[in-house]
Parts: sequence; structure tokens; C-alpha cells
Amino acid sequence: MHQDKNVERRTVLKAAGASLAVAGLGATATACGGGSGSGDGTVTIRYAWWGAEDRAERIKKTIALFEKKYPKIKVKTDFQVYPDFWKKFNTQASGGNPPDVFQNAIGFLRKYDAKNVLLDLNAQVEAGNLSLDGFRAGLEKFGEVDGKLLGVPVGSNSMALVIDKPVYTKSGVKPEQGWTWDDFDAAMKKIRDKAGRAGDSGMYGVMYLYDLYLRQNGKAFFTEDGLGFTEADLKEWWTKAEKGIKQGIYADPKKVAQTKPKSAVAAELAAGEFTWDNFTVRYTSEGKSEYGLAPIPTTDGKKTGQYLGSLMLSASKRTQHPKEVAQFINFMVHEPEVAKIMGYDRGVPATQAQYDAFKPTDPVNKAIAEYEESLVAAGVLEPITPHPNGADICEAGFMRIAEELALGKRSVDDAVKQFFTESKTALGS
Amino acid sequence: MSAQATEITPAPTAKGGALRRKLPGSLAWHIGSLLILAVILYPVIWVVGGSFKNSDDIVGSLDLFPSDPIISNYTRLSEGIADIPISTFFLNSLTLAVGSVIGILVSCSLTAYAFAKIKFAGRNLLFTLMIGTLLLPYHVLLIPQYVLFRNMDMINTNTPLLLPKYLATEAFFVFLMVQFMRNLPRELDEAARLDGCGHFRIYWSIVLPLSRPALITSAIFTFINAWNDFMGPLIYLNDPEKYTVSLGLKMFVDQDAVANYGGMIAMSLVALLPVLAFFLAFQRYLIDGMATSGLKG
Amino acid sequence: MGTAVTHAPAMEDLTQDSEPRHRPAKSPRPAALKRRGRRETLAGYLFMSPWIAGFLLLTAGPMVASLYFAFTDYNLFDAPQWIGLDNFSEMFADPRWQNSVKVTLWYVAVGTPIKLIAALGVALLLAQKRRGQAFYRAAFYAPSLIGASVSIAIVWKAIFSDDAVVDRTQKLFGIDVGGWTGDPDLIIYSLVALTVWQFGAPMVIFLAGLKQVPRELYEAAEVDGAGTFRRFWNITLPMISPVLFFNVLLETIHSFQIFSSAYIVGGGAGGNACGPADGSMVYTCYLYVQGFENSRMGLASAMAWVLLVAVALVTAVLFWSQKRWVHYEEGA
Repeated sequence: MHQDKNVERRTVLKAAGASLAVAGLGATATACGGGSGSGDGTVTIRYAWWGAEDRAERIKKTIALFEKKYPKIKVKTDFQVYPDFWKKFNTQASGGNPPDVFQNAIGFLRKYDAKNVLLDLNAQVEAGNLSLDGFRAGLEKFGEVDGKLLGVPVGSNSMALVIDKPVYTKSGVKPEQGWTWDDFDAAMKKIRDKAGRAGDSGMYGVMYLYDLYLRQNGKAFFTEDGLGFTEADLKEWWTKAEKGIKQGIYADPKKVAQTKPKSAVAAELAAGEFTWDNFTVRYTSEGKSEYGLAPIPTTDGKKTGQYLGSLMLSASKRTQHPKEVAQFINFMVHEPEVAKIMGYDRGVPATQAQYDAFKPTDPVNKAIAEYEESLVAAGVLEPITPHPNGADICEAGFMRIAEELALGKRSVDDAVKQFFTESKTALGS
Repeated sequence: MSAQATEITPAPTAKGGALRRKLPGSLAWHIGSLLILAVILYPVIWVVGGSFKNSDDIVGSLDLFPSDPIISNYTRLSEGIADIPISTFFLNSLTLAVGSVIGILVSCSLTAYAFAKIKFAGRNLLFTLMIGTLLLPYHVLLIPQYVLFRNMDMINTNTPLLLPKYLATEAFFVFLMVQFMRNLPRELDEAARLDGCGHFRIYWSIVLPLSRPALITSAIFTFINAWNDFMGPLIYLNDPEKYTVSLGLKMFVDQDAVANYGGMIAMSLVALLPVLAFFLAFQRYLIDGMATSGLKG
Repeated sequence: MGTAVTHAPAMEDLTQDSEPRHRPAKSPRPAALKRRGRRETLAGYLFMSPWIAGFLLLTAGPMVASLYFAFTDYNLFDAPQWIGLDNFSEMFADPRWQNSVKVTLWYVAVGTPIKLIAALGVALLLAQKRRGQAFYRAAFYAPSLIGASVSIAIVWKAIFSDDAVVDRTQKLFGIDVGGWTGDPDLIIYSLVALTVWQFGAPMVIFLAGLKQVPRELYEAAEVDGAGTFRRFWNITLPMISPVLFFNVLLETIHSFQIFSSAYIVGGGAGGNACGPADGSMVYTCYLYVQGFENSRMGLASAMAWVLLVAVALVTAVLFWSQKRWVHYEEGA
């Protein structure tokens, strides 16, 4: 399928019309079959996502657009904050009643595939309802697990070092692509001495950063079915962390805990934090300073280990309308108008067409686009493997145990041992 | 409560001038009581004052009331939480609370009547079982009840929260009513029996009206408990549109607390108002209910 | 589920049906009596039917199910898998579970005595009949009604956080801990403070008990020259011991089940944790995390049964001990 975008869309629309006619016939033939099909061939699909009010507003507008183009598909929406979303999803999925289509992330693909919840969208790609063309940087591969297409990326993010710009400037620190961990440590000390602020909010507990560090050394946090590092690896990482806490280069964990859910950077407890690049948007709304993005430090002066992370749309295996769901996903990832509405809310748009459709004008979003472009230019991006079942519990455990270490509740040995014990249980190995 | 015998103060006696001893004693009593009152009231006054402060001044400032009070914390509440108007949460809580009150009043009074006024085989055994449930930690039932309601496809409805109330599972209220009904004069219902009244007539026209104080106490406690309940709605309700005030507040904490701390404090206070109003209106019933529950009926 | 009603009836009533026995007024003929008895039984069960249905469906049935789940691996998606005692061995070896036990025991052991002593102390103060007594009694009781709410938990978190009133007051005395809610060892004391703040409910019960102490006893003691403390120790305390027992039992049982305040005050501190470094991860919070966040219903059921056994043991010990220190009036 190497068609021009517009042709592509027209084909999809035509296919949609045809399929709807078929669906309509089907509905009259088996009127008592599906609960959500009505006599005139209109089907209703349920769409759930996590996020805040702002995202809800945008998504509402994109759905209005979708319903206008597909008048025979009605979309019922539902959203929660992140933890509540998964609690509810879990309930519904375990009861055999998950939403037809929902927002997903790489950490949950194997988890819910193991529970037989996710629909393999490959059949819909073959049927022409969903196109995998035109994705940036190989993103279409991100939702693939064992040859099954379990999710389609809507946007991409990358880990970055989000910094309080004035504090960095004041301390005379200028991070550059390819700087090393030694440079980073020296910078942290400089910030502590010159600006009187901790340089970092607690990098030792950020699973995704440790993943990058491992990748710089030829490993990774997760393999397909377990952890990709040894107790000795983690011991090295956390020993360094313990030293840093004593030196005052990381923010006081007690204060960080109390300022939550506000970020330590916005609360002016730390000059920087390793997190996803689109978090600058949040920090800008939370804090008073000016926030920017800095490159990830490296081990060898080149490799950052970075990859694009992404939010996806997945469909449930139980859906009675796989075709309509596929059309919906297709519309949401390819339609340029959608990108104009969504902006970088779910990361930088995954397809080239959407990427080109939205050009940010504000400095914060502009910086995000530039950052991701610079990553592509630097050629540092790597592929990512979907996390194993139980990865979400490992991540929470990593953060919590690192915090316990920082608070002095555990020794390094104890913390490492505890993390491996918990992970073993969570990963079921 | 006014009986002289209830006073247990070391009574002022003849030795030493009564007046001289009484005055400082009284002063100390009032100072002591006022000090305790200050500690008790501090959090409530804090939240009242905080709701009129700028978000940045709420935690850091020691002043109870701001020098330049603002009302924007309240006006911003009209925007709702996550696009849902505050009134939705209040209506949901009200529905649950009123539904609970009706359930408790009907089911517990019927059960209590059977325990108190009807002699039947197995009554003592059932009574013991009922008392047993009073001491049972709720958490043992949490998971199986959840699984049960999930299998009946009732998650995300009010049924799991209301059904227990209609099936008299709140043993405390059954007990309260049993104690009360047992102490009603027997002659009344015995006379009614001789007149040929059935149990339902006696229950409806004699026992229920006479049990009003116990019913009112139960109703108020039920309302307040339902209003405050957090774990039940947390587990059973999934749609923000169905959230109670407690869950709405928790959602506020998770979603908007950073951007709108003052609004969260204002909402905390607004969420307390119904309970405080009930307390002011019915405190006698509440305190007498509490007091008698601890003593033998 | 966060109840404001934390008190149930006195214990001598719990153990038996204390309705005064009354003789049958006249004895009708046996056949009629039998018929009437059957009718009464029918009426009795009819009136009780909501409770019986509730007991079977929502209490007894679930208890049996819960006991079964405790020996299974159950994630809601797949049918429960029998795994014998694995849940229990995993639980006992889990440092997080051990921590939750420690935190809970600490909370119960510190919070309950302080709360009851405060309740008794204030009750003794209020038992003096002075102007304003009714007002103070009502005001002191109010926290017991609102203490379980999310609102108060939010307020509590704010008051005990860094640079807030408690922290600033401490600094005046040269103690700087940087806020209790961020400290894994101190956060539990903010919860202890919250439960002590709600001393009003047991206080009201103490007050009712104090009012029933016959005044003659004090007068007689005074004639014997007994001082205030002697009178308290020899008269007041024994006379109110049934009420004291009742308060100790109920407060202890309820302290074991603390959930919402710990969940809110300790919330948002990283992943599925409760408080910094699980500092306020009380038993029921960990049960919730395992059951509802990690979907481990079998393990959570096993945890619930361990809690049940623990509470039953504490209850049994208290009942056993009451023979030694609780004095019931003769004939009661």
C-alpha cells in the first residue's frame, strides 16, 4: 500500500461506505445480535482514555469531526485520570465489557495481551480499514507484539532532561548533545554551589532513565519476559544515587514527597528532572520559571539510548464492530485536522501528515518539536521492545523503593534485593 | 441529665470557704475547656480561612484569615471538576445518602421488631449471629462482595452501595432499635394483640411511632456515614459522572490540586457543610444515641 | 467503610439476649399454643427476611467465598486457581506486608490509648456541671462525625506538611523535621493525631457512664478522707469499667481498620504507595493495593482473613481479661 495520502483517505472512505452498507444489511439480518447496532445501520462504539479536562475538550472536537465524516458511527466517550483509568479498565475488561477502543501505552500491551483483551488489528490493515503508511521514525512498529498489531501510536515522546533555564544559566551550565555522566555530575555540583539548589529531583527512581543508562551500556530495563539487568547493575546505579543524596545534588526526598502532585522542578526544589519531553507544558503551567529541554547525558559521548515512547490506540478483542473501530483509529492517526485540534497533547503526532499539519507557535511546544527533530538528526534513536506483563507494577516498585533508599529507610543492598523480589513476583517468573 | 445525682464533681463541702474554692475552680474549668475547644476547632477554622486565601498562601502562611480575602476559590468551583459540575457530585451523594436512610429505616426496624417483639424458634441464635457481624472487619467481605456484584454486572451502579442498606446488614442500627423497642411498655402491644391486631399493625401503628427517637438517630447517622463514605464509592463507582462528593474531592486532589489548591480547600469546606448542618440541627439525637449505645439499653 | 458510628452496645448485651423473661399471661390449650407458636415463628421470619437475605447473600456467603479465594490465585480475568497456602507464605515473607503490619500495630498501640485517655480526661472535666457544659460536649463530639471525611484528611495533610502550622510551631522549639507528611517515620503520627482529635465519641460514652455513678459513693469516700486521686482510682474507675471496656474494644477494632484517612493523607507519594516509603501504608491500604490495583484478589482475601483472625484474637484477649478488671453491677 504505497498510495498518496489523499488517495488513501478516499479509498478508506469508500471502503467505509461499502462496509457500512454491508454492516447495515447484517444488522437487519441479525437484528437481535449486537446490542449497539440500530436498525438504520448506525453503530455506537465506546472510546475511553486517560487524561485531564484539556485533553477531553480536544478529543470531543475530534470526535465531532469523525462523526461528521462517518455519520453512521457514533462514538461514546469516557475518560479518567491515569490510575483511575486502569482501575476501571481492569474491571470492565475482567467482566468481559471493555471499551471498544481505548488509549494505551507500551507498558500495557503484553499485560493485556496475556489476558486476551487486545484485538490484533492486522486483519483490519489487510481489509484496508486501517493504514500503517506514513508513520514517522518507524512508529508503526511500536504496537507490535509477537507479530500481532495490538496498538497504533498517536504521538511520540522521548525522555529528556527538563531544566529550569534561569537556574542553569545562573550556574553557568550549558548541556550539549553528547555530554557525559561525569559532565552531568560536575554540573549538578556547580548548580548546588552557585544557585544553592539541588540539581536534580531524584533521577535514581526514574525507571525510564535507568532504561536509557542500561541501553547506553548495551542492556535494557526489560527483556521480552523479564528484567534485562543484574543486581550488580542496579547496585552500581543506586550506590551512586546514595552518594549524590549525601552530597546534596538531589532534592530532599521528604520535600519532594510533600509537594506532589506538583513536580519538584516547578516547586523550585530542583533545577531539573528526567522525564518525558512534553512535560515542559505541564511545568510551565505549574511553575513560575522558564523551562527548557536538555539532552540526556551519555556514557561514551555519543549514545543516549533514547527511543520514542508513545501513546497508542488499541481495540478490544470483544468489540462487535472491529471495522468501525479500525476506521476510527485510522481517522485519528491520519487526519490532519485532528492534529490541528490535538496539538502536542499526546506527544508529537505519529504520522508525517499530522506532524506537518500542526506547527506549534508557542515557545514551549516549539522546543518540544525541535528536541525531537534534533534526536532524529543526531541519529540516537533506538527501537523499543514492548514491556512484559507486570511491567507497570515493576515501574511503581522501582520508584517506591528508590524513594525508600533516598529517605534512608533501606540500604542499597536491601533496596536492590527488595526490587528483584518484587519484580520476580510481578513478572511471574 | 438534670438529675442532681449525675454530678460527680468532688462536691464543694463545708471545709474551706466554698466561694473561695469555687471561683478559681470554675475559672480553671473554663480555661481548660476553651483550650480544648481551640484545638478541636483549629482545623475547621483553618479550612474556612484557607478557602479565602490565595493558593500560594494557604499552607505557608500562619495567619488563620487572610488580610485581603478573595472569593475566587468559590467562584471557580462553578467551573466544576474535570468538566463535571459540582452539583452532580452533591446530587449523587444526596441520592445515595437518602436512599441509604430509607433502606436502613425500613429494613432495620422490621428486623428489630422481630428480635424485640416476636418470640420464635431460633431467635437467640440469629441474634447472636447479628451481634457477631457487628464485630466482623468489613474487609473480609470487601473482595467477595466485589466479585459478587461484578458477576451480577452491577459495578458502576449504586446497587452495591445501597443493597446492603436494604438488607439490614448494618447491625449497629438493628441493635440500637432492638434496645429501644424492648424498653417500650409491653402493655401497649399486648393490649393491641388482645384487640386482634396482627404484628404488622402493631409494628406500624404502635412500635414505629414510639421508636421515633431511635429511628431519627439511625437516620442521621446513616446519612452522615453515607455522605462520608469513601471506600465503597472508590471501589464500586467508575464514571466521574457518578462520583460522590468524596470521590469528586479525591479527583480534585489528583487533577487540579496543583493548579487550583485554593479551589480544593473551598470544595473541602463545601463538602463538609451538609454534615455540619445535620450536626447543628440534630446534635441532641446524635449525642444521646451515642451515649445510650454505650450503656445497657 | 468510614463510619462515624464507631460504637456499639455494651458487651454484656452482646453476649446474650437480655430481654427480661416474662411468664405467659394465661396458658391457652396446648394445640392452640402450638398453632400460635407456628404463626409467631412465621411472622418472625417474615419480619426478619431482609436481614436473613442480607446475612446469607452479603455476609455468610461472601465469607465462605473469601475463605476459598484465600487459597487461590485469582486475578478476576481467569477462574481462581487453587494454590494451597502460597498466598500466606508469600504474604508473610513480603517486607511490604510486614511493614503494613508494623505501621498498623503502631497506629493502634499509640493512637488508641492516647485517644481513650483524652476522652476520659475530658469526660471527667465535662462531668462537672458548669455553665456551657452542653455546648462543650457537642463541640468536642463534632470531630467524630467529620473526621472520617475526605475533606478533613485533606486539611490534615496540609496542616502537617512542610512549612505549615505544625512544622512552624515545632521550629519555634528548635525542632526542624521538615513536615510530617514527607517523613516515613512521622506520617503515621499525623494519623494518630487525627484519631485522637476524634476523642469525642468515646468521651460521650464515658460521660454517660460517669453520670450513672451514684453520688453517695463519693460522699462516703470523702467522709473517709479519700483524696481526688483515690476517689478516681477506687470509685470512678471501677464503676465505669464496663464502659471503659466497651470503648477499648470498639476503638481497638476500628483502629485496625483505618483506611480512608491513611489513603488520602499518604496518597500521591509515588506509584501504588501510601505515604513516603510506605510510611502510612496501613494494613487495609495494602489490602486495597494488592486487591484492586494489582488485581490479586486471592492474596488480598488471604490478607483479609489474617486481619480477621488478628481482630478476633484481640477481641478474645480483651474478653478474657475483662474478668479481672471489669466490674459489672450485680444483677445486670
